[in-house]
Amino acid sequence: MSKTGWAWTWFGFLLALDIAIPWFVLTHVEKMSGAFLFWTIWVAAAIISAFVIFLKWKGAKR
Amino acid sequence: MSTVFWVWFGIAIYIAAGLAIAVMARRRLGAGMSEFFLANRKVGGFVSALTYSATTYSAFMMIGLAGLTYLSGVGALGFELTYLCGMFMMVFFLPRYWLVGRKYGYVSPMELLSDRYQSKWVGATAAILALVFLVPYSAAQLMGVGYLMNGISQGAIPVVAGIIIAALCAIAWSNIAGMRSVAWTDAFQALIMIATSAVVLGVVVAALGGFGSFFGKLESASPGLLTVPTAKGAWSINMFIGYALPWLFFLISNPQVSQRLFIPKSVTAMKQMLSGFLIFGFIYTLISVLWGFSATLLVPGLAKPDLATPTLLSLPIIPMGLAIIVMIGITAAAISTIDSILLTLSSVWARDIHKGLINPRVSERREVRVGQWVIPIMTIIAFVFAWWVAEQPGNAFEFMIARLSVAASAGLLMAVPAIFGAFFWKRATAAGAIVSCVVGAIVVLLFQITGWKPLGWWPGTWGFIACLILFVGVSLATKPPRKKADEFIGYLKQKLSEGRFI
Repeated sequence: MSKTGWAWTWFGFLLALDIAIPWFVLTHVEKMSGAFLFWTIWVAAAIISAFVIFLKWKGAKR
Repeated sequence: MSTVFWVWFGIAIYIAAGLAIAVMARRRLGAGMSEFFLANRKVGGFVSALTYSATTYSAFMMIGLAGLTYLSGVGALGFELTYLCGMFMMVFFLPRYWLVGRKYGYVSPMELLSDRYQSKWVGATAAILALVFLVPYSAAQLMGVGYLMNGISQGAIPVVAGIIIAALCAIAWSNIAGMRSVAWTDAFQALIMIATSAVVLGVVVAALGGFGSFFGKLESASPGLLTVPTAKGAWSINMFIGYALPWLFFLISNPQVSQRLFIPKSVTAMKQMLSGFLIFGFIYTLISVLWGFSATLLVPGLAKPDLATPTLLSLPIIPMGLAIIVMIGITAAAISTIDSILLTLSSVWARDIHKGLINPRVSERREVRVGQWVIPIMTIIAFVFAWWVAEQPGNAFEFMIARLSVAASAGLLMAVPAIFGAFFWKRATAAGAIVSCVVGAIVVLLFQITGWKPLGWWPGTWGFIACLILFVGVSLATKPPRKKADEFIGYLKQKLSEGRFI
């Protein structure tokens, strides 16, 4: 699979977790260490993966 | 001196500083559409990051999102962070917009669509979509300022006065030097937004005994707010998707933010823009949600959730001076969004409707002037809408800032398949783009107005499904602009490879 394909797959996986974990795994955890902590770590993972990709960009000639 | 006096004094200082920055920006203003609406595509990374942040994050955050958290708990965090996760797609779209913007000289995102699909009607359709659906979004910003000033002054300043001040500032800052004045004032305002909100959250958390004590109190006093769905039934999966889906694609569906993908002066500036925004967004979202949670502990039982922030700011634990500075920070967030929307809508009107459909031979100078006229007209429309909404009785959930903002973005979502098609699908056609935008928008409007939710799915979800099916179906049944598609996507393929983009 191309790098673009991997990046789209990773993004799709993150979106699947967005629903699966809070509604099906953490739905009875009434603490800050439940959905609140999950979403915070989850988005940090998305941000870090974006950094990994775009820090490799270099100037393109027109 | 009274609170009302200090509120007016703070607003006067803020307006004076903003005007001074806008006037300074005007000294560098050159001639032409690209200069007025895109600052000649020469904005540095730092200012690009801050203008993108200030345009994206509005009164919605510290008032709307805080109010939504106050009302419905942790699902509000998930919904807003889903938007931020969607920013991952910038790794695909930022270099693509930036490269074709430079190559073909596009001024608005709609012009890109017109050219790629070889049909002025595609751009005009997307332009009308933006003109219609950005009115409630702008109105939500104006309302935010109105509620805030009214709340902090404990009713002494009428809501409509705040709405008028916000509207006048937005007109001035977008008209004085176009993108240059908007970007510079945005940068100034973004710094105020994040600094003031962080300080005031610190004060409130300290009053609650520190983060450990704050979280402990929250878990014991409102445990139902920390799960999805909540104890009161908010944040079903359908509700979450209804809110999050339009937000997920905000980076390309909202032209006031996608237009900013044209402005960085270099690849380095692009990287700075994206990294700065992601860090800003992460911090500001957590601050806004924690702020909403602190309101559930300190000012429970409010009839109107959008008043959580103003009510919290008027408590004695927050020094009056700090409350006024925070009010200015939130006002800045609202105005920096409205002026960007106004500037984008004026460029869209001038380029995609006036030049595209009405007068193709219009000079650039005249085009800029037409755009400048649109700014006050759109402001008046948003002002009337905001005033009408603010007059609605009680705690009508339908008229909450968060709800209005999402409803607006649900309409704008209908341009997303056409935008994806432009960059990734050579078989996409103008007919597919137009039919999907129009029918999708009608579905969204009908479902919004009637409140109809078949299967419990929200208007944006139904509209998007209809839009997607029509886009693919109609495109396959009609003839694509093969030559342009090959040239456009071929150019991108070559440049993306050269720049190590993906």
